Amino acid sequence: MITEPYSITIRELNEAGADNIPPELVPATQLIYSSPATLAFNSPGATGFGVKRAGLAIPGSVMLLVAPGCCGRNTKLLSEIPGYEDRFFFLLMDESDIVNGDHLARVPEAVREVVDYLDEKPSAVMVCATCVDALLGTDWDRVCRKAETLSGVPVRPCYMYALTREGRKPPMVLVRKAIYSLLEPAKRDPRTVNIMGYFSPLTDDCEMYDLLRQAGVKKINEISRCNEFEEYMGMSRANFNIILNHEARTAADDLAGRLGIPYLELTRLYQTDKIANQYSAFAESIGAVFDDSEFRERAERAVADFREKYGSISIAVGEMLNANAFELALALVKYGFKVPEIYSNVSREDYVFIRHLAEISPETRLFTNLSPTMLFYDCSRADADLTLGKDAEYYHPDCPNVPWNEEKQPFGYSGVTRLFEKMTEALA
Amino acid sequence: MSVKGLHKIIYPFAPDQSGAAAVLYELGGMIIICDAGGCAGNVCGFDEPRWLSTKSAVFSAGLRDMDAILGRDDLLIEKIKKASAKIDANFVAVIGTPVPATIATDYKALRRMAEKRTGLPVITIDSNGVLWYDSGIEKTYIECFRRFIPEDNAKCIIPGSVGVIGVTPLDSDSLTSGKRIIETLRKKGSRRVICYGAGGSLDDFADAGRMEKNIVVAASGIRAARYLKERYGTPYECTDPLITDVRAGLPLDTEELYGKKVLIIHQQVRANALREALLEETGGLSDSPEITAATWFSMFDEIAEEGDFRIREESDFFDRVRDGNWDIIIADGSFRKAAGDFGGRFIELPHFAVSGHFADEESVRFYN
Repeated sequence: MITEPYSITIRELNEAGADNIPPELVPATQLIYSSPATLAFNSPGATGFGVKRAGLAIPGSVMLLVAPGCCGRNTKLLSEIPGYEDRFFFLLMDESDIVNGDHLARVPEAVREVVDYLDEKPSAVMVCATCVDALLGTDWDRVCRKAETLSGVPVRPCYMYALTREGRKPPMVLVRKAIYSLLEPAKRDPRTVNIMGYFSPLTDDCEMYDLLRQAGVKKINEISRCNEFEEYMGMSRANFNIILNHEARTAADDLAGRLGIPYLELTRLYQTDKIANQYSAFAESIGAVFDDSEFRERAERAVADFREKYGSISIAVGEMLNANAFELALALVKYGFKVPEIYSNVSREDYVFIRHLAEISPETRLFTNLSPTMLFYDCSRADADLTLGKDAEYYHPDCPNVPWNEEKQPFGYSGVTRLFEKMTEALA
Repeated sequence: MSVKGLHKIIYPFAPDQSGAAAVLYELGGMIIICDAGGCAGNVCGFDEPRWLSTKSAVFSAGLRDMDAILGRDDLLIEKIKKASAKIDANFVAVIGTPVPATIATDYKALRRMAEKRTGLPVITIDSNGVLWYDSGIEKTYIECFRRFIPEDNAKCIIPGSVGVIGVTPLDSDSLTSGKRIIETLRKKGSRRVICYGAGGSLDDFADAGRMEKNIVVAASGIRAARYLKERYGTPYECTDPLITDVRAGLPLDTEELYGKKVLIIHQQVRANALREALLEETGGLSDSPEITAATWFSMFDEIAEEGDFRIREESDFFDRVRDGNWDIIIADGSFRKAAGDFGGRFIELPHFAVSGHFADEESVRFYN
């Protein structure tokens, strides 16, 4: 009987290569441990901006969840978040519905009843569908069209199909497409851009806003900063879209095809030299020049101050945070800290960071939040002075922690600065 | 007339798979939620308040679309076998969700195959996510009693022993309920008290046929108690040993009850016990309150009084509250909004299976 959690060094992982990721790290080959990160990773509606909350990004919209009762249970938590109190409605299936699909005939009438019930007509009704309809092969476009005709408001499907999480278009990809699906062709404004990818805005101090203004952009749209439906519809006028999360690519492709808005993609990074390179390439691609020296200097000073104060401490990094765990670990090691452990799922795309990490911190161990053996994880064997991520906190409950999962999204140099400020607070 | 199944205000209650997991959580087994991930997320992240403080081998089967479409039970069995080689579990439980319900998974075959491959006792619970938690608790208790009581169990009764059925966080007012029930019953003279699934182990189930009597503290335990009565002749009583504490926690003076029409909404045993306690306080007088018990969950005629009712749809709730002429409603706080312009007094009586909140707990879950 094994009583050790499965782990692998970054060196071993790198040697195995992206084509030979060990089966212990592949979700499809094993039962999935219900660790905190697994719940967020594996359950598309569980926490933060899962499908349910994300689907309500359109200002003034409401959601009708069409599902067995179990799928709506934890929505109670979302309803306790200000701004979401009266926006969720449920059409609960019974035992015959899940086999013969009778509930579908009730959807248009239910949408109409919800619209009539509300004091103010919603801008849209998002119909959230779950695994049962994935298996029944429901044509939601057709059902929603019927509901739209009956209710007189736009009705769009949101697919919370956990079964398709590893498919080509997983739930968090499709919901990003759904929330921009109401945008219609409009005259483009060369001084307007959209930032896409997150369901909450970048932090107010993010240098992205300043840099875009340096490039002559007058209006920067983010769906989460649109208070009114008209503002949201104004996103159609953007000259180009900036994608900050690869899961928004399908949405951006859709907008490129339907509205002719091109896009470019940036990655959230914590290595200041790479941030600089990325901004430089970005500026070049839009024919501008950015002066990011002040922001870079501030970020690098925050790192240096922290290192001077606390030395090269050990930091364990989880995946339930606003970063790629491998890239963040790489940045920390480059800044002179030790990263003894990472808790994360791994994908082919992560190898771009794993390769570099293997060169400078080969003995860093990767634990997978998914593995049933994580039941045996014993924090007393790990050397960590600080943990990053809510999942890392779960494994090291007595260690100072920075959850780093705030709703406003960190990005670029300001993300680095804020992270080190938070780390300082945690150790103070 | 509202659309069937439409909930505009009241959020869905704990589902049957949460009820099943709640019974099994502390028994040392490997609990597999047969889902794609969301159901396990709901069980651990919302409905199982012990998850943060007590580790248990609760896993998601991690089903994907092609697993379900092609009915790859063999792949699931292989995953179970691999995990059972790493986890020191005394049994395996496979808990159903909407996915296996939709594709009509053959649980008997799954059980046989899993037992053969793992060498462990395997139970399967055909929960489907459509029914509420009480159904899952009921099925799981019965299945555990069926599987884990040895054939010769009834040979000798343990003197002074009491089995308590129905203690799960979903029907409790705090995580200490099981402990408090045991203390209360010991003070009353019971020498051995077993709360099945709460603070005990799988071995407790082995002695279930030897109890002198059973106490059912939640309606979800009644059918299991009936099973033990039929099989082993164990008598049972439906009662709530903690009702004195519950009553004491209500901001309601006895004199406020006189002549009033009161509606209590909870699981049937607690609603009944509270009614009894309130009537006892005001007993014998001509203007004793008229108290009706109602529930969204299992309702049994054997413990119901005339006028008690079951609520099945949100629109039923609206109608009953509006047309009942109640002076006082005692129910979980999450029903307050649904009570609309009810002009009487609304007194909160938390029910975790409804709101996900205890009476006196700070945060009990990871996601908050």
